[in-house]
Amino acid sequence: MGMARDLSFLLPEMTLGITAFIMLVAEMLRRPRLALLIGLAGLALATALTFPVLNAGTTVFGGTYRIDMLSGWAKLILLPGTALALLLARAEIAGRDREGSVYALIALVTLGALMLSGSGDVMLMVLGVVLTGLGSFALVAWPRDDAATEAAMKYLVFGSVTGAVMIYGLSFWYGGTGSTLYSALSGIGDQPLIAMAGLIAVIVGLGYKAALFPFHFWAPDAYEGAPVSIAAYLSVITKLAALFAFAQAFRDLPTSTGWPLVIALIAAATMSYGYLAALVQTRMVRLIAYSSIAQSGYFLLGLLAIGGGTLALPSLIVFGAAYVAMNLGAFAVIMVAGRELEDFRGFGRAAPITGVAMVIFLLSLTGIPPLFGFVGKVYLFGAAISAGYLWLAIIAILNSVLALAVYLRIIVAMYQPRPDAAAAPGQAGPLIAAVLGITVLITLVMGLFAGLLPG
Amino acid sequence: MSLLSLTLLAPLVAAAAILVLRRASAALALAGVLLGFLGAAGLLFGAARGDLLQAALPGLPQMPLRLTAGPLTALLSALVATVAALVVVYAVGYMRKDPEKPRFFATLLFFVSAMQALVLAGDWITLLAAWELIGFSSYLLIGFWHGREGVAGAASRAFLYTRSADLGLYIAAFILIGSAGTSEISAGLTTGGVAATIAGLGLLIAAMGKSAQVPLQDWLQRAMAGPTPVSALLHSATLVAAGAILLIRSAPMMPAGVLTLIALVGGVTAVITGLMALAERDLKRLLAASTSSQYGLMLLAVGAGAPIAALLHLLAHAAIKSSLFLGAGVFQHDRDSTNLSDLAGAGRARPGIFAGFALSALALAGIPPLAGFFSKDAIIAASLAAPGALWLVPLALIGTVLTGAYMARALRHLWRGKPPGRAERAPWMAAGMGLLVVPAAVLGAGFPAIEGLLNAAPPGGEMAVALGLAAAALGLLAGWFIPAPRLLGGLLPWAQGGFAVAGGMRGLVLRPALAIAALTETFEQRLYNGALATGRAMLSLGRISRETDETGIDGAIFALARRTRETGARARRLQSGLIHRELALTVLGIALVTAVLLAAPLYS
Repeated sequence: MGMARDLSFLLPEMTLGITAFIMLVAEMLRRPRLALLIGLAGLALATALTFPVLNAGTTVFGGTYRIDMLSGWAKLILLPGTALALLLARAEIAGRDREGSVYALIALVTLGALMLSGSGDVMLMVLGVVLTGLGSFALVAWPRDDAATEAAMKYLVFGSVTGAVMIYGLSFWYGGTGSTLYSALSGIGDQPLIAMAGLIAVIVGLGYKAALFPFHFWAPDAYEGAPVSIAAYLSVITKLAALFAFAQAFRDLPTSTGWPLVIALIAAATMSYGYLAALVQTRMVRLIAYSSIAQSGYFLLGLLAIGGGTLALPSLIVFGAAYVAMNLGAFAVIMVAGRELEDFRGFGRAAPITGVAMVIFLLSLTGIPPLFGFVGKVYLFGAAISAGYLWLAIIAILNSVLALAVYLRIIVAMYQPRPDAAAAPGQAGPLIAAVLGITVLITLVMGLFAGLLPG
Repeated sequence: MSLLSLTLLAPLVAAAAILVLRRASAALALAGVLLGFLGAAGLLFGAARGDLLQAALPGLPQMPLRLTAGPLTALLSALVATVAALVVVYAVGYMRKDPEKPRFFATLLFFVSAMQALVLAGDWITLLAAWELIGFSSYLLIGFWHGREGVAGAASRAFLYTRSADLGLYIAAFILIGSAGTSEISAGLTTGGVAATIAGLGLLIAAMGKSAQVPLQDWLQRAMAGPTPVSALLHSATLVAAGAILLIRSAPMMPAGVLTLIALVGGVTAVITGLMALAERDLKRLLAASTSSQYGLMLLAVGAGAPIAALLHLLAHAAIKSSLFLGAGVFQHDRDSTNLSDLAGAGRARPGIFAGFALSALALAGIPPLAGFFSKDAIIAASLAAPGALWLVPLALIGTVLTGAYMARALRHLWRGKPPGRAERAPWMAAGMGLLVVPAAVLGAGFPAIEGLLNAAPPGGEMAVALGLAAAALGLLAGWFIPAPRLLGGLLPWAQGGFAVAGGMRGLVLRPALAIAALTETFEQRLYNGALATGRAMLSLGRISRETDETGIDGAIFALARRTRETGARARRLQSGLIHRELALTVLGIALVTAVLLAAPLYS
């Protein structure tokens, strides 16, 4: 009875797990196209199965896994986002060796991402970190050339070290509370040193995954070494999962442990560092990588209010959805235009429609209203101010000016005359065009209908 | 509701239609602005009857997007619609030969729609959105000829300038939403105390950016790179007006201290940019500096506690400045230049246009019975009645003298010089301009009706009239008879240099930001090097111990050690040795986090 109830709440996760398994079988049969179709169908089914449990507000397996608003909306964001990433991957690597394994790995990593965003227990968090990590390393290393191998190696070593720190620190929480459940953390306030050890562990482990400063070093290299579609995937899905996991863990952690200030400082440093570093990049993938790092800093504004305000979860969810759409879209344009900033010179004139799409993504990333990214930032700023962090909101708003400078570099280049020597840019194939269409639509329209999202 | 959507959506739909059809752009644009004008006129009549039209869209939960057409907002909406309609009429002629006409009209109409959303906004979120949209669409408009040299840079500069000042609007909006508990603007205006002070300062910063007040005045003159109809629209009733409109609307909640600051900023701007206009050698840039100066006078009026005087001047200035720009555009077409020395005598070739230009110039200087006379007197009267009259009155009067002086100087340049042959007829441009000169001349007659509508009377008095007239006459005479270099004296190089305070925006913000960015770039490198040096020290220690070991250890272990070393070397080449340096940084980060957490008892 209890088991059946619990499992009924886990239908989306189970669907995804089974899908990933069937995808592996399809890959063994050397049928990558089939693997892709199974993956898309499985993701669609899992998304549909999320709706019945969206507002369940319960936990399963003795509180270790949460079926709440956050994990529900996480599925509604991460599963369709993964489907878009699969389409991008197909557009990039169709017909190449071991193609299907990429799709299967993506599905598995997303399963880990769902675990992270629903975790109610430190063990599940560790499991999620490991599951997303292992799959991601393999995905980055997939091209098998020097750059990819080096990037994956770096990613792996970083992951191992931060993972070790995380597991070590979390053992203190277990020792202090006698339980691995987050819900047991509410009483940890009177053991400050133990609370601190676990807190550092969470910040290091998840901060690495979310590419927060100063745990971000792997990200630009990994994104650059990996195929562009994989970079797009990693920059949204695993990052978002880690930020949602933060929210789950901090929900029960007393603020007396001092976590809000640490997060606020990391947020300020991450935003500023990300945009400043992006300002001097000349390679497009690295530029967007640093911009993604800066965006992680914005997410932390919402996290700050998790102790008290009502805006915390909506802000994370709304900006999360916006971020997935605009970042995937920007990466999709990179797949068409090229990996260098120089490739974008005159791109807007050569490919007007894709160019306009890129402008929309970049403006939304900047936070220009009424685009979706702006609505997300309104929530985030509101959350930070309601949590008493006006100074951080001001830094965040100042950083949006910096952001504009970063993104205008691309926009201005796009509408300069195209160098004569440059070849005509590639055309967006049907798959990329579909992804661009969907993400542009979301970025444009959802800003006006953000009321449909939770709040 | 339907009137509101007509006002807002007619230009937007027309813009979309132009982009899709890519033909008949001028006709579609005319239809769009005319329908929008009808909607706005309907709103104004409704407001005059005492209706309060409102519309709400779902938007964010608990924060619906509202549009409100009260007396003030309906009046401003009608103003925007009127100027927009006439500018489009003019642009039909001005852009006749431009191959990218559809893009121009589409962007212009999009801008108009955004501006309508801004003046009609009933909540802070809509206002923020509209504020950013006019910023972005003005970026597109200023950069319309982006192929020309320097244009893209000018557009980016305008965008970055105004956007960095937008910080103030964001902060103010969030504070007001937070303290009022709702995003409605009218509810937020009852805020008091410290929150009102901080919000007021934020609004002032935002207004300074958009209305090009000192020290953020630089972008406006560079924005002259855009087509002339764009300048006419942006400078009169829209983009630049947004700042003043924001302050006029929020004047009821401003604490006394903030009001004083607003008056000071406005007064100083009126004088400094007035001097810049006097020193300017380019007609369009002269008009641009004059825009800053006139908005300075409006801010002064708001700060002196008479927002109604500021509003009247805003209305008068909108008609005057747009007709001046349209006139300048006609001359520009004739001579292919806006340089004052190239334009010498251009007025004689077109006596009709010149007459309109001169009428508007006199109106701006404040000669009765033209529109500027009434509004400028109201401003002077307000400064006379204000607590800080001692320093407000001189600023207002100097601003007025300068207005007369630079307008007379422009007129003189256009009139003197050799008259060329007759120019070709420009019916569309003449029509657009002519229709704007009329309100520039007679709008003053409508002021009592406007005061009645808003139920507010501007301060008046014979003293103000006398002072204003004397200042205007003095300025006009001085500007006509005395060359600008002599008038300015030692101030000339300063005024020509744009009074760049401490290097202006470039020195204050841009250079430091780029320097920090470069520092970040080297930051990782430096730390790497530090970590590398530590690593090298460790390695040499290891080598010493290894050498001592190698001598005494048997061959098998020796071989194993060598193979391990070789593998390590290969792995190191693979990772370029960067990982341990970065991990060292990560450890440093962990240490910092720990330190902050350990210090938690001290601050919580």
